[in-house]
Amino acid sequence: MRTRSGVLALLLAAAAGSFTPAAADPRGAADVAAGAAKDLWELIQQIRGEGGDTLRPIRARQASQPQAIPEAAPSGLMLDLSDLSHPLVLEEHLARLTAMAEDEMRVTVPNGTARLGAYSVGSDQTVAGHLLVVRGDAQVYGRLQGNLVTYDGDIVVHPGAIVSGDVLAIHGTVFDRGGEIGGESRTLSASPRVAAPPPPLSAGEATVRRLAGVVGVFLALAALGCLLAAFGRHNLQVVSDTVTHSFGRAFVTGLVGQILILPTFGMLVVGLVLSVAGILLLPFAIAVYALLVIVGIVGGYLAVAHAMGETYTRRRLAQGILVGAPSSYQFLLVGLAATIALWLAWALFGWVPVAGSLIRGAAVLVTWLLATAGLGAAMLSRAGIRENFAGRIIPPEALTDEYLWATPQFGVPAVKRPGAGSRATGPGK
Amino acid sequence: MRPAVAVAALLLLAPGQGAAQEMRDFTSARQRHGESRLTTRLDFAAGTLRLQRGDPARLYDLALTYDIERYRPISRFDPVAGAVHLGLASTGGAGIRVSSRGQLEQDAVVRLSPAVALALDVTLGAVDAELELGGLRVTSLRVGTGASRAAIRFSTPNLSRCGVAEVEAGAAEVALAGLGNSRCDRVTFKGGVGRALLDLSGSWSGDAELDVAMTMGELTLRLPRSLGVRVDVERFLAGFAGAGWTREGNTYLSPGYAAAERKVRIALSTAIGTVNVEWLP
Repeated sequence: MRTRSGVLALLLAAAAGSFTPAAADPRGAADVAAGAAKDLWELIQQIRGEGGDTLRPIRARQASQPQAIPEAAPSGLMLDLSDLSHPLVLEEHLARLTAMAEDEMRVTVPNGTARLGAYSVGSDQTVAGHLLVVRGDAQVYGRLQGNLVTYDGDIVVHPGAIVSGDVLAIHGTVFDRGGEIGGESRTLSASPRVAAPPPPLSAGEATVRRLAGVVGVFLALAALGCLLAAFGRHNLQVVSDTVTHSFGRAFVTGLVGQILILPTFGMLVVGLVLSVAGILLLPFAIAVYALLVIVGIVGGYLAVAHAMGETYTRRRLAQGILVGAPSSYQFLLVGLAATIALWLAWALFGWVPVAGSLIRGAAVLVTWLLATAGLGAAMLSRAGIRENFAGRIIPPEALTDEYLWATPQFGVPAVKRPGAGSRATGPGK
Repeated sequence: MRPAVAVAALLLLAPGQGAAQEMRDFTSARQRHGESRLTTRLDFAAGTLRLQRGDPARLYDLALTYDIERYRPISRFDPVAGAVHLGLASTGGAGIRVSSRGQLEQDAVVRLSPAVALALDVTLGAVDAELELGGLRVTSLRVGTGASRAAIRFSTPNLSRCGVAEVEAGAAEVALAGLGNSRCDRVTFKGGVGRALLDLSGSWSGDAELDVAMTMGELTLRLPRSLGVRVDVERFLAGFAGAGWTREGNTYLSPGYAAAERKVRIALSTAIGTVNVEWLP
């Protein structure tokens, strides 16, 4: 209530203050009266709890004692008001000015003057040059030959008034009561207001959205994996085998690769820039590098999923639970389902206060681990071209354990690995 | 790698958790001091845009609310050329926004004087736009849209004769309504992917030509029965609902074409999609 009383006092004081110059003009007086009545009505609405805080900003501002702002020293602040097409830049400078104490304010306005507090150009008055008014309204009844800028104040151009240039109200409003403005009228609102954030989703809606997101990512990765299996199966299998045989090395290599991605990119750019021909290749090289990184990461991740799916499927085949000749597609889908399982758990239980965050953290960590190993395997095997990390050039006799592991033990026919013709490196393959 | 993981994680985690935007209001207006024509260029990157007829005494009037981190207002007037450039441009900063939904909270209203001849050039980005051009004096019109939903209407007759109206749409949903009121001698529409509605209602003051090209999508022609329409169709894998039309090769004539007081020729080129025809009483 104290605040409201203060607002009322300010309102009355401001209304009284602005009445004096308006008294010379009947229409101006009517405007002031109308404004005061409007503000009073808004205040009543606020007290009744029905209205927002829509009182004109100037009413709530602390008015400054009207005075001229002295010119600054040659090295001091200078504001050129001849071009008002960049109000944001001007606002920055004026913010610096108004940050000073009132008695220390100094600014030079080339071909113009600066005022602190409310200022009025009388009906029989002509002001030559630009005019800056800080922390107060500018009431124009007469003639202003130049541009007019207010900061923390409104501009009111009354009937019969003439402003030959542009007007700009920073943190204020331009009221055109029927005067003539030769140039453009601009306003820039006060401090930014934060847009209302969207209403929070219910637990059910959030779960459905998360589920949709997880399923979408799974389907996208599955589609990419199927394309990779269709057109680059050999490379996929080599990278996958590299992960299986050298997981630790793949992970460390992936980790180092992550660290070196940006420095390598920087060296590539610098190297190309330093050579004349290289500059021409720079856009192409940047695109290719970005593409390689993306292919390495996504392809590596899919290869890890393939490896996981293959290990799981072969184990079940060896135990006689599954029968048949699984393909890379099946390995990929099984592996992707396994990698996405944690995200699925998060999608379902993410709403649980602590557990949800823990599951999400675990999902992020596991995803990062797998992607790192995948990238490392892709690097070690040169995107599946170099096979020695996958154990493919190891003599057949060295694969005895794997052969034994993959051989069914309960009378089920031996597993026929897909693409056996091209990949067979030992008995049973 | 880390950025990729971060992006992947954001894609999964971020939906519905958009950061609040800091918005500001900006207005710009100019009184009319005897100007008879105005070349208006309007660029709007993202948000909601409304263009409409304004006060005759005001040459133009722009009021917008924008995201200060990502956009900046444009308002430049060239008194020598009689041209104004208004709108909202991207600053190209503040990183990547995963969800662009928040950008649509930006809002702009542009009002133009009906007392001046307007050469209007509008470029829209990711915008939900409604351009009401009825009652203005549009002498030429060009609208280019990106991923927008744009409705361009002449609800009341154009006060001036318009030479050419060109609309180019990317992946957009575009509606041109009341083309009869546009008083344009030639209307060109080029659509990429999406949906388009060409509504030929309104009071036609003369014969006109429409060049319509749609690459992929659905095109709807809304035609008044009183209008004589000739459609020269060039299509690849697109259907044309031509029931009731008189066909001569690739040319279709609307019922009562010969007797119609006003005639419109439509050169229609479409690749993949559907062309629907709706008749207005």
